[in-house]
Amino acid sequence: MVEKIFNKIATVTCLTFFLVAPVVASQLYIGAKTVDITPQLPVAVTGQFHLRIAEVAETPLIASVMVLETRGFDGDLAVMVSCDALYIPKDLVALVRQRVKKQLPGIDENKIFLNATHTHTAPVLALEGEYLIPKTGVTQVKDYRHFFVEKVSAAIVEAWKERAPGSVAWGMGYAVAGYNRRIVYADGTSGMSSKTNLPEFRSFEGSEDHNVNTLFFWDDKGKLVSIVVGVASPSQEVEGRHAVNADYWHPVREGITEKYGKEVNVLGWAAAAGDITPHMRYRKEADDRMRNLRNLSRTEELARRIILAVDESYDAVASERHSDLDFRHHVEELSLPERWVTEKNYLEAKAFVQNAKEQIAEDPKAADALYRMMNWQERTVKRYEKQLENPKQLYPMDLHVIKLGDIAICTNEFELFSDFGIRMIARSKALQTFVIQLTGSSDWGSYLPTQRAVNGGAYSAIIHSNIVGPEGGQVLVDRTVEVIDQLWNKEVK
Amino acid sequence: MICLKQCFSLLFLSIFSFQNYAQSDKDKNLKVGWSTVDITPDKPVLVAGQFHARLSEGVMDPVTATILALESGEGTNSEKTIWISCDLVGISDGMRATANLRDEIRTRVVKAIPSILPEQIIVNATHTHAAPYVASIAAVEGIYGVSLDQMANGKPAMSPATYIPIAADRIAQGVVKAWKKRNPGGISLGLGHAVVGLNRLQALKHGKSRMYGNTNSPEFSHIEGHEDHSLNLMYFWDLNKQLTGVIINVAAPSQVSEHSYKLSADFWHDTKLAVKKSLGDSVYVLAQASAAGDQSPHVMVGSKAEERMQQLLGFGEEGTGRGSLAQRKQIAKRLADEVIDLFPVMKANIEWQPEFKHEKKLVPLSRRLLSPEDVAEATEEAEIWQAEYDKLKAEVHDNPDIIKTPRWYKNITISYSKLRRGLVVSERYELEKTQPKMPIEVHVVRIGDAVFATNPFELYLDYGMQMKAQSPAIQTFIVQLTGSGSYLPTQRSIEGGAYGAVPASTLMGPEGGAELVEETLTLINKMW
Repeated sequence: MVEKIFNKIATVTCLTFFLVAPVVASQLYIGAKTVDITPQLPVAVTGQFHLRIAEVAETPLIASVMVLETRGFDGDLAVMVSCDALYIPKDLVALVRQRVKKQLPGIDENKIFLNATHTHTAPVLALEGEYLIPKTGVTQVKDYRHFFVEKVSAAIVEAWKERAPGSVAWGMGYAVAGYNRRIVYADGTSGMSSKTNLPEFRSFEGSEDHNVNTLFFWDDKGKLVSIVVGVASPSQEVEGRHAVNADYWHPVREGITEKYGKEVNVLGWAAAAGDITPHMRYRKEADDRMRNLRNLSRTEELARRIILAVDESYDAVASERHSDLDFRHHVEELSLPERWVTEKNYLEAKAFVQNAKEQIAEDPKAADALYRMMNWQERTVKRYEKQLENPKQLYPMDLHVIKLGDIAICTNEFELFSDFGIRMIARSKALQTFVIQLTGSSDWGSYLPTQRAVNGGAYSAIIHSNIVGPEGGQVLVDRTVEVIDQLWNKEVK
Repeated sequence: MICLKQCFSLLFLSIFSFQNYAQSDKDKNLKVGWSTVDITPDKPVLVAGQFHARLSEGVMDPVTATILALESGEGTNSEKTIWISCDLVGISDGMRATANLRDEIRTRVVKAIPSILPEQIIVNATHTHAAPYVASIAAVEGIYGVSLDQMANGKPAMSPATYIPIAADRIAQGVVKAWKKRNPGGISLGLGHAVVGLNRLQALKHGKSRMYGNTNSPEFSHIEGHEDHSLNLMYFWDLNKQLTGVIINVAAPSQVSEHSYKLSADFWHDTKLAVKKSLGDSVYVLAQASAAGDQSPHVMVGSKAEERMQQLLGFGEEGTGRGSLAQRKQIAKRLADEVIDLFPVMKANIEWQPEFKHEKKLVPLSRRLLSPEDVAEATEEAEIWQAEYDKLKAEVHDNPDIIKTPRWYKNITISYSKLRRGLVVSERYELEKTQPKMPIEVHVVRIGDAVFATNPFELYLDYGMQMKAQSPAIQTFIVQLTGSGSYLPTQRSIEGGAYGAVPASTLMGPEGGAELVEETLTLINKMW
């Protein structure tokens, strides 16, 4: 107990020192690595309630690593890994950190974070509970997780070892690549990905953010090494396929490497986009027609728009490179109040679980469609039971906030509704604020909805889909903005 | 040698195209004519768009009207549409005041070309806030509470009553020119995307909304409504497959330079220059604003980053940020980039005999139902502004030299505008009792797989989306401000209570909006 208190005091002291002490602009060191994380086939892919076994890999899956470092007294570190995955389980993040730490004992492994692009055609990563996957004939989850940890940690180590002086520039463009998927009807209810060609259709529930935030990194010889592309849209255009596919990020990478060099490392970051989808919610026919006239698939069309934004930014900012800059990476465990499970929620979930269990017992094949949904609701049952023991349940979230020159990078572990991201961006002191969602998930991920979404109902805003609700969302926004403020208020000498 | 080859190719292409055209059903042949006229006045005029009066102090760039004359078929029964896009804030149509620029134009055109019917002429405004005032022919003192002579301090200036017939003359001449120049042609239909219009309403955590508020505040909750970044495009070609012009329809009013005392067409001026630079000087651009009552080009979130990009893109010479020429050029780039990018695809997909129909209907819409509380609140505000106006007027009386100070009339004209604004609420309240419905003009024009649907309002975006979502057309061009304006807000916005949704800003409410959507869709569906 005394040790715990001491540790806490030490942490707070360090954090206070970190947040108030002046720092100097320092030479930036960069390291980058791209690694193939395509699974061995066949494999269970995740993103739908029903089980899908992929027999084919339509595109490779990629993890892209970017190491940023400054040295000396005020030196800092960030290891950022973008992964073609639906989500990154928190325990998997821990395994990657442990593995890297084992190989690089000097590294602060807490400065590593991984984000998922949210492709719905990548392997299951949660160790248990998601699907009843056949025990033979398909790649097992534990095997893919082992493969993933090995590949990603090796890539991090390699990028770390190769880090060298470099420079960075930031830019912003626009691409219409994400659409709000929550439809509001005349009776005040909302639907998710539901119809708009109805007289009852009134509006879209939330906002969209079409900014494309970009970072460009060069080595000290002026060679472009890496490009970060932040888009407020999950990569789930081909989400229903029984295949492995990196979705629109694949043609984005192909297009970028074709233009900027095949060795350029591309990191895809999904900004706050819990209520966003790349699917068209209206005027689809017109969009499809244009795509056909251009002879492009839908993922290629999305990539075309994103690449145009990248190109415009590159042309504008390429001559404004920063090699000496203020770089700081703040990490903390942020406790967010969990969304309250009502007794009604509990009873309904319990009844559903009971019914599903009976159906599966009667016909084991029913598990393909029911198992994930049953576990999804069973989580609610368990939450309610925990809530009875302690009504103030808190969700511990790893919060990373980075100051890189004039820009801020901040993470969260949710499918964060766009309003929260916009609140952060609007209040941020940074010139540009890169919000990255899905940087670690409990189980297989969780939406974080707004109050108006909760009021409207529908899949992404109901209790089973939300560990944290609107109240916790605001805590997340306020704390993120507070940390950005503190990072910006420091005087750079 | 190369030149000879090119001539042969062109000749062959022309013959081939003409044969295709000549062999077709003549009833479906499309003829297209274009013109542009300068409607910039040669004397200072009132500039429309703010509460305070602005007497123009020169010309930043010309304000224009672009005319597209379309005819399908032969003889008196041919289908015709004359589309006129004006760099104006609105098109007076008798709905809100005595002025009627729309009918002044129609009368002149019909007189010059009797085969054209008044209802075949559509006039839309781009909503630039730096163009001549055309909303009323009343004496300027009746509009702004100060005489034109006082505002101009005795220098030459032109009243709206004088300007409107001049503008109508020039536009009608432009129509005659476009009509005479019409030639066989084809169209192609394109959809692009450009982030231009941004929702300007911010919902706060306590449930109320505000327009152009500070999003950098803990009280900011979310952007109240949606945005629509689709760019509806229609390209027009001659028989040699040369581009003659393009309609650009964007859900954004052109009001970057909205506080300017110099006349300007706003970002449409820069857009036209950018398109012409790439696609040819002879190419016409006809600008339309889609439903955008709650939109503006002003950046509500992340403006610092936007401003920096304007600088880095090389537009910063004359300033960056809100209201700057750099922002206009950045918008023009986004619009022109899409038009240019699609050009080859459009050229390869020309339709020579598109289905062409035009219907106009007077649609009775429910006036906004106001409450006695609305009237009381507005009357109270009017009384406050009356007192302010009286005070400022007395100051002018006591100190007549004040009118020598540049723009001296700003505060007094604000007070008078707000006084009038308060008074109209009770007028509308009384009118609703005796005339609960108000007829408004709606045009629906089908061209090929596209449809154009007009309304006279600053129509909130949701209504436009509702029409687009339910329309059977592949692309639905909503064209707002084919009349004198007035916001048409959503229920959500009325609850938020920001500027465009308060009783003084509106003739219609959500009930009228729902009727407009339904009636427009009925007209569209009839054409499919």
